[in-house]
This record gives sequence, structure tokens and C-alpha cells, in this order.
Amino acid sequence: MAALCGSKIVVFGRNVASFSSVLQKFAGPAVSLVCTTQTRSMSRVKRRHTQPPFWLPKTTRTRYPENLTSENEAFVSEVIADQYSSPLKSDPWERGVWNEKSLRCGVIAKKIGIYPLWTKDGTRLLTTLLQVSDNHVIKYIPPEELIEHRVKKRKREFGALIIGSDSADPRMVTKEYFNMFSDSGVLPKKKLSKFLITPNAKLAPGTPLYASHFRPGYYVDIAGVTIDRGFQGVMKRWGFKGMPASHGVTKSHRRGGNIGSGGEKARVLPGQKMPGHMGRERRILIGLKIWRINTHHNVLWVQGPAVPGSTGSYVYIYDSLISSRKHTAENPPPFPTSFQDEQEVEEELYDQDLHVFSHPSIS
Amino acid sequence: MMAGLARMRILSLTRQLASLGLGGRRHTGSSAVPAKVLPYRKTRGDDDDVNMQQIPDDFRVVFPEFLPDPKPEWRNRLREKLERQDMLARRAVMAIPEFYVGSIMGVTVADPNASGKINRFVGICIQRGGTGLRAWFILRNVIDHQGIEILYEMYSPLINNIEVLRLEKRLDDELLYLRDALPEYSTFPLDMDPELIQEGAPVPVNHLKVQLKPRPWHERWERKNLQGLLDLGLPERFYKRAKLHEKPWEKFDLMKEYRATIPEEEQADIFREISPHYEQLEASRRRAKRRRTKIIRS
Repeated sequence: MAALCGSKIVVFGRNVASFSSVLQKFAGPAVSLVCTTQTRSMSRVKRRHTQPPFWLPKTTRTRYPENLTSENEAFVSEVIADQYSSPLKSDPWERGVWNEKSLRCGVIAKKIGIYPLWTKDGTRLLTTLLQVSDNHVIKYIPPEELIEHRVKKRKREFGALIIGSDSADPRMVTKEYFNMFSDSGVLPKKKLSKFLITPNAKLAPGTPLYASHFRPGYYVDIAGVTIDRGFQGVMKRWGFKGMPASHGVTKSHRRGGNIGSGGEKARVLPGQKMPGHMGRERRILIGLKIWRINTHHNVLWVQGPAVPGSTGSYVYIYDSLISSRKHTAENPPPFPTSFQDEQEVEEELYDQDLHVFSHPSIS
Repeated sequence: MMAGLARMRILSLTRQLASLGLGGRRHTGSSAVPAKVLPYRKTRGDDDDVNMQQIPDDFRVVFPEFLPDPKPEWRNRLREKLERQDMLARRAVMAIPEFYVGSIMGVTVADPNASGKINRFVGICIQRGGTGLRAWFILRNVIDHQGIEILYEMYSPLINNIEVLRLEKRLDDELLYLRDALPEYSTFPLDMDPELIQEGAPVPVNHLKVQLKPRPWHERWERKNLQGLLDLGLPERFYKRAKLHEKPWEKFDLMKEYRATIPEEEQADIFREISPHYEQLEASRRRAKRRRTKIIRS
């Protein structure tokens, strides 16, 4: 059940303003900035945590041998299936209209692999396959409620949507965690995430999200946890060049060499690059193009092999915040999401520049 | 009330969710703990023996790229299924014939810089590899006394046509030693006609032994256990050193073989998945015409 332990709620949406940009606001444009202070103090910040924060509900519970008869067990499975066979009966929420400043929610996907695709002019590109499996909206937090817990001041009014992915067995979770899902009418989820949205993008709890939330040709930002590489030396971790294999080098072929500057600064400066734990950190990759979507299996083909994480790990995908890649009035996104249950979507969607395998060869 | 009680009651675990990978923290370091082997989930419950018999013997050899990379960290059944669908879609448009290392093939590619926008290259296949859509092979030829090798991605849409001019196998799995061989062993005419073979006949094996140029070579060929080479004519010390580097225990290493292969049950599943298209693939493999002339090979 360690996978459920990792279902911490992480905030997405706006990028956190960096220390240097905050400094710029106070100091003014005339002051030139030396960013050494930022780098050197950020290296002391703890980036990896073994346990989720104390204020999150515990997900796992101690299981005891219940010695149930098989009939009873079958009965309970039937009850659970009945309970969750249909969504909650409630009035549908009104659907907002997209405008230039709207921000809609993202999805949680699982990385399933990498394979090559080709464009219409024959260029080969590697694409990462991401499966949007079993996503549902769990809760909507209106702006008034969000402001109570706000960490930083924001000029624009934001609400939040909590999205969950991959259903878990309700018998395996704690009561507290289970109660979080009572309003949404879905099975408890293994992975949760919070996405900041503008209030017009709100969705009712229990709304399913599919891969058709995006379309080929859209640009997305993807956040995930990188592969855990363990304790690594300075050459792999920081890209140091090491020293020659021969010509008299004594026992220092992959070491860091000198670590001080000497003179007045007679100490090792904070942030000195040294061996240590590498990987298992949160990274965001921005401006990745979606090349292809399969709506039957809910799979996205996204540009590049560099999506953080190994095969089977979760990533969080949302509309790109890069100004040149945002949605415009000419190509608005399906807002607040694409309601695939109501309207027909083709099974395979391709970007216009992509070569489809069932089409003839390029000549 | 009943449903509510049922919900609250603590019950024993079910086997379905246990296999969905809920356990285990991520390993720190790549080689600290052996790689986790994914559990095999049967797609069909019954008649396993019948399925095993239904795989044609040569399926693994003729279509090796349909079997995925065995490395468990990279495996995902859905992605492999989507990849196979794409491979079949591509094969429906452009037939990829059966070939082996040692076969002479002609490949036509779309080339924007060539006159007529098309470029044809003929050569002997010296190596093939890759799985899925990344499958590739290398063709070698000697043109104007210059040895040329070209790596072709089998599923690239730029390839217009792949034809096998002479279907045969050699004594080795890889013919990289042709780089150090006399040029006549790698020279093939660019306008070679396809040599036809009888349908259903076994793939002929060419027992040609190649003569190498004098040393230096690209590799230590004496250490590679190659069958397709004439006597190398090296001093005894080379062979003594080669014996020190031998690993005779590797053929007994069952785990190594296990890690490098896809289990037979999964191969049966894969074959079952592509079996509707198998007749179509088979038809494009070999020519149905009879062998007209007997070709004498040197």
C-alpha cells in the first residue's frame, strides 16, 4: 500500500516565482542581480520527503485476518459494485465559457512507454505514451475557501479541483481517506492532485476526465518525479569531467578535485557540488506537444522521451503556461472538459503534421 | 444501512488488487535489488496446450521485432499492444519480407536530394536488431571500391519498398567481419535480379567461408567463435589469449537466458493477437513462383 502513501496533494497551476524575480520587484530594474545567493541557499532546502505531511489523512490501514466465508466476501464485492455502478444523482453544474484568461484543470496520467513516430516529411521523433486511467473529479474548492489556506497572494481569483486517478479497493483504505470521496460517488483513488483553475472551469465531483480533454497539436506542461538514481558520484550527478585514466593520475579518476576558491573566501561555499542522492525529485517539463491521442485506451503521445519518471509512474499534465503556446480565441480548448460520454469522439486523433501508419509511404 | 455497514466492515484482501503493484517502495540504486519481474496475467484461461501448438515454429525467427524488449522496467502490455497495432498498419501498406542476416536485399527510400526523389540501395544484411517500431537492419555493399553500410529503420515511412533479392542464411548471426574481409565478399551488383525460391522450401544456408584481409582488424575476430571465416592464420598466442577470455559457463546460465527471452505463454498471447493478420504477412513473405534457374554460388 505504499502507492497510496504517496498520494499527497500537490499544488499546480501557476509557477512559483523565483527568488531572483522577487528581488527584482523590490530592488528595481537598475540593480544588477547576482544569483549566487539563490543557488547556494536553495541547496539546503529538503527536496525529498519519505512521509507525506502530517495534515494529510492516512491512506493505509492495518489489515487483520477476517476469516470471512466466501459467500460473505462475494456479497460484499457485489454490494461495492452496486454502490459504484452508476454516478451520483445530482443536478448538473452549469458549464463555464472559455475566455483568454481561463485556466482549466489538468489530468493525472501514467507513463507507459516510449516509441518513435514520424512526421509527414519523414522526420523521426520519439514520443512518450501517457495513459489517462480512470480520472475523476473528487472535489471543487471555490476561491473563498481556497484563500483561507493560501500560501501566497495571488492577484487573480483561483479555485481548485482535486482530481483522482486509479481506483482502489474501498476495503483497503482508512475511514478518513474514504470519506473524502463520499461527495463524488466514485471509488477511492490511489493518486490525488490539486489543479488551480479559474472559477468558470469548475466541474461537478464525479465528472470523469479522459484523454480527449486534450487534442493533438496542443502544448502541455508535465510535472512528475524523476527516476531515483540513488547515491551518485559527481560525474553523473553534476556532469564533472573527471580526470585522465592514465598519465600519473593517482586514485582520482572520477572525483571532484578542488572544492575551494582560496584567498579571502577561505571556506567551502554553500552549494558546492558534491556526490549525493540524485533523482526522485519533482521536475516540470514545459511546452510539450501532443502528437496523437487514442480515445479508446485514453493514451496521449507526447513529444520527447524525457518525461520525468520511469515506466508506470504518475505524471500531472495541464495546459501549457508558456505565453507562445497558450490557447487563443482561434483554437479554444474543450471547456471545462470534453464530455466524451455525451458526444462522439473518433478513436484515433492525429496531429496534422503526423504521418499515420495506415497511410501510404512518403515519396 | 446494510450497504453502509458493508462499506465500513474490514475485510480480507482480494487477489486482483494485490497483483496491481501496490507494494514496494522504489529501490535506491539500479543494481541494489534484482529487477522485479511482472506477474504474467493470462488473457485466456483455457486450452493452453492447444495455443502453444498453434504458434508456427518460425514465428519468433521471421518476425523477431514483434516480441518486445524483455527488460522488465520498460515493459507495459498496453504500450506493446498499441505498438504492434501500428506495426501491422504499416505492414499492410508496405510489405516487409522475411529476411535473415546474410540475405541480399534492395531498399528504395524517398530522398529529397536524389534525382527522381527516390534512392535505391542493394546490399547484404550484416546485422539486424531493435524491437517494435525501432526495428532496424544494416545493409553493406562496396561501390567504387568504397565500403558503404546503411542502417534502415524497418518501419520508417520514408522506405518505399524492401525486396529480398537472395534469401539465405549464413553460418553466423552477425556478419560484421565483412568490414575486415576482402572486398569481393561484400560486393553485389546494384541491378541484381531477385532470385526466386520455392514456396515452403527451407531457407538455404550458405556455408561460405570468408577470407579476411591482413591485420589490423576492427575486432578480435578470433575471440568471437565465428564459423564463417577461413583459417585466420594467427600465431598460437592469440588463440591462447582468446581461451582466457572465453566464458564457457554462459550456456549453463539459465537466469541469463530467462532475462533475455519473453516467456512462451506471452509469445502465444502475442501470436494470438496478430494471428488475424498472419495470413497476410505470410503471403507477402515468399514468392509463389518456382525456381527457374539453378544459381551457382562461389
